[in-house]
Amino acid sequence: MNRIFILTPLIVLLIICIFSLVYLLSGKDPNKPPSALLNKDVPIFESSSLYNAKDIIKTKDIKNKKTLINFFASWCSPCKIEHPLFFEIRKKYPELYLLGFNHKDPISDAKKYLKDDGNPYDFVGVDSDGLIALEFGVFGLPETYLVNEDGKIIYKFMGPITMDVLKNEIEPLL
Amino acid sequence: MSSSVGFLSLVFAIGINFYLFLSRYIFKFQKQKFNLFIRFSSILTLLSFFSLMYAYVVSDFSNYNVFQNSHSNKPLIYKISGTWGNHEGSMLLWLSILSIFSFFFSFTKNIEDNFQKLTLIIQAFLHILFGLFIVFTSNPFLVNSILVNEGLGLNPILQDPGLAVHPPILYAGYVGYSIVFSIAIAGLFQNTDDEWLYVAKKWSLISWTFLTGGIALGSYWAYYELGWGGWWFWDPVENISLMPWISGLALVHSLMMVRGEQAIKKWIVFLSILCFSLSVFGTFLVRSGILTSVHSFAADASRGIFILLIFFIVTGFGFLVFLLKEPKKSNTLNLLFINKVSALVINNILMIIATLTILLGTIYPIIIEVLYNKRISVGGPYFNATVIPIMIPGFLLMSIAPILSWQTNKINNSKKYVVAFIILSVLVILQSYFLDFNTWGFVGLLLGFWIILASIIAIFSSYKFKININFFKIINPHIAHIGVGIAIIGITCSSVFQNELDFNLNEGDKFNVNGKTVLFEKIETTNEINFQSLRGKFLFDTEKNQSKEIEAGKNYYPVSKMITSEAGILHQWNKDIYFILGEQKNNEWFVKVLINPFVSFIWLGVIIMMYSGLIAISRR
Repeated sequence: MNRIFILTPLIVLLIICIFSLVYLLSGKDPNKPPSALLNKDVPIFESSSLYNAKDIIKTKDIKNKKTLINFFASWCSPCKIEHPLFFEIRKKYPELYLLGFNHKDPISDAKKYLKDDGNPYDFVGVDSDGLIALEFGVFGLPETYLVNEDGKIIYKFMGPITMDVLKNEIEPLL
Repeated sequence: MSSSVGFLSLVFAIGINFYLFLSRYIFKFQKQKFNLFIRFSSILTLLSFFSLMYAYVVSDFSNYNVFQNSHSNKPLIYKISGTWGNHEGSMLLWLSILSIFSFFFSFTKNIEDNFQKLTLIIQAFLHILFGLFIVFTSNPFLVNSILVNEGLGLNPILQDPGLAVHPPILYAGYVGYSIVFSIAIAGLFQNTDDEWLYVAKKWSLISWTFLTGGIALGSYWAYYELGWGGWWFWDPVENISLMPWISGLALVHSLMMVRGEQAIKKWIVFLSILCFSLSVFGTFLVRSGILTSVHSFAADASRGIFILLIFFIVTGFGFLVFLLKEPKKSNTLNLLFINKVSALVINNILMIIATLTILLGTIYPIIIEVLYNKRISVGGPYFNATVIPIMIPGFLLMSIAPILSWQTNKINNSKKYVVAFIILSVLVILQSYFLDFNTWGFVGLLLGFWIILASIIAIFSSYKFKININFFKIINPHIAHIGVGIAIIGITCSSVFQNELDFNLNEGDKFNVNGKTVLFEKIETTNEINFQSLRGKFLFDTEKNQSKEIEAGKNYYPVSKMITSEAGILHQWNKDIYFILGEQKNNEWFVKVLINPFVSFIWLGVIIMMYSGLIAISRR
């Protein structure tokens, strides 16, 4: 009888640990609910070009064309890693519209970054206050969204895209 | 540069602890040499912590952690507190406090050498576990791969003086239990005399006092910074701190009552393991990001799994040793219908049930999500409906427990207590009848006043009144309980009798709060060093025609693009008048005014409890 009492904490410990482990391993994260935007319309946005403040892009401008939207910043090192891949995509899918959003960055830093590493985007929109990223539900940079001709988000990737991700996840959708 | 110093000294400190850990089996040490090594490793760990702090102070953005969490425009104090305002830095703080405790414990006199050594070896083991956790998953000394001139800022909600000191004090409480844990385990291994109980008592009182202060500071911060008008929200992180607090309370009481009873000694060992386990479990829940709360830091599954492993090892090891080396039971408890021992046992049972109830409510969402893939949240209604009723009999018992006898059922001066209780009940019933009646309000007020009254009667009827230190040490238990009584009154009044008033106002409008005229003077915006502030100014007429100005508004932090609300509070001894400035609509500002009666009693009660904790540490 006495033994049972002393064993109880160990049993409780085991149960708590098993549940917590399953929870962690299942990739659940209370801070990252399943993307609410998937298969939904692109959020309404309006942004000026990095190079010309009068040049504005709006949600309706990307209707009727497949668009890859990428959030990046000069201070984001993983962005630098994925950057060359966008040139590959550019070469392979010339009809795909590449839209970059420069996130919370001083304009001069962003320009310098795209000058040094090259600019693969058809349009670079400024999102200096992060409001567009907020609309998209961006958690951390970089993040990439694929939008189809009907203006629906059909794919979302968090973190730097890799060759594998490009081959296995993005290309089948193109 | 400072980053490399910090990293190397951290690794070196872990290495020394590893060496010390092995010393139990391989290298044999003299006590002097062993203690020297322990102190050296503590100093290295602190050196590591201070090099991180240095990097924050000089805004060294080549350190990735500083870059992510600091900004050169921040005031110095928030640069310093930025050191622990993030996951990595706060884990280093955790480890540093562990080291400080080991450092001071190594100076403990009048305990057996081998016992002290074993305790410190267990501390070294904990240091290794958490040290490796920092090095492998949460390294605050990573180098920033890109050259930058500016950082990304600190969470503005954390830019607050109260919160700058809240984490170190809270951690001192959590981590302090590690010493109690190590002492208990060492006690199990060595099975020596009862000397260790006195040592454990001192350290558990230190931890408990720190934990009380840490929780109260966090609560006070939530009260004026979150702008919701309350001070306790049953947020998972609050629950996590409450669990070791309640079980620590049970531990402290058991340690003060123990007179060689084996059953209570066994219980003390159990509580010691439980307190530290709950502290580590709390660390796991917060750091893995498994629960959402105002404290959410970047979540990372690998971190979560690592710290879950630490929790499993520490707790599993503790309870396994408890199972295998269980102290032998020789004498039974002297349980009577109502004596000191039975009161202690009943209160301990209640506190453990309360702890388990909170634990269940806290982890229930995790279990449900794993089993049914549904997201639920357990909040205030559950905890209010379960924890409070469980605690009530404990509070009742607490009022008379210090004057109960060890050997008999007799209560000295019992007539006085009965008469006092009847008079008090009539007074509270009258109060409830003439003001608004509320069951919880009635119960809370009666309990609070009864605890205070019973303690005062006990002080004056049982001891000769003298003003010297010794007298204050003797009446200390009663003082602590008076603190609890005062806090209960504050908690009851501020939650049950809270009053809310809503206004839509233009600048220059006058409105009425509690029979007093308040003028909504103007809206002012100013630019501060690291934020822009928007303030509504209110002129409040107090007694004797003196008017006081209250400012309530919002701060906007451009670097992190966050808005925080800043409540304006008029503190009076019997109530807080709490102003919240809302949105502007059609040129009118929405203003919410909360009248929180007797909030100051909560803080006063907590301060008294902490004072008693400090006095009790000095008493043997």
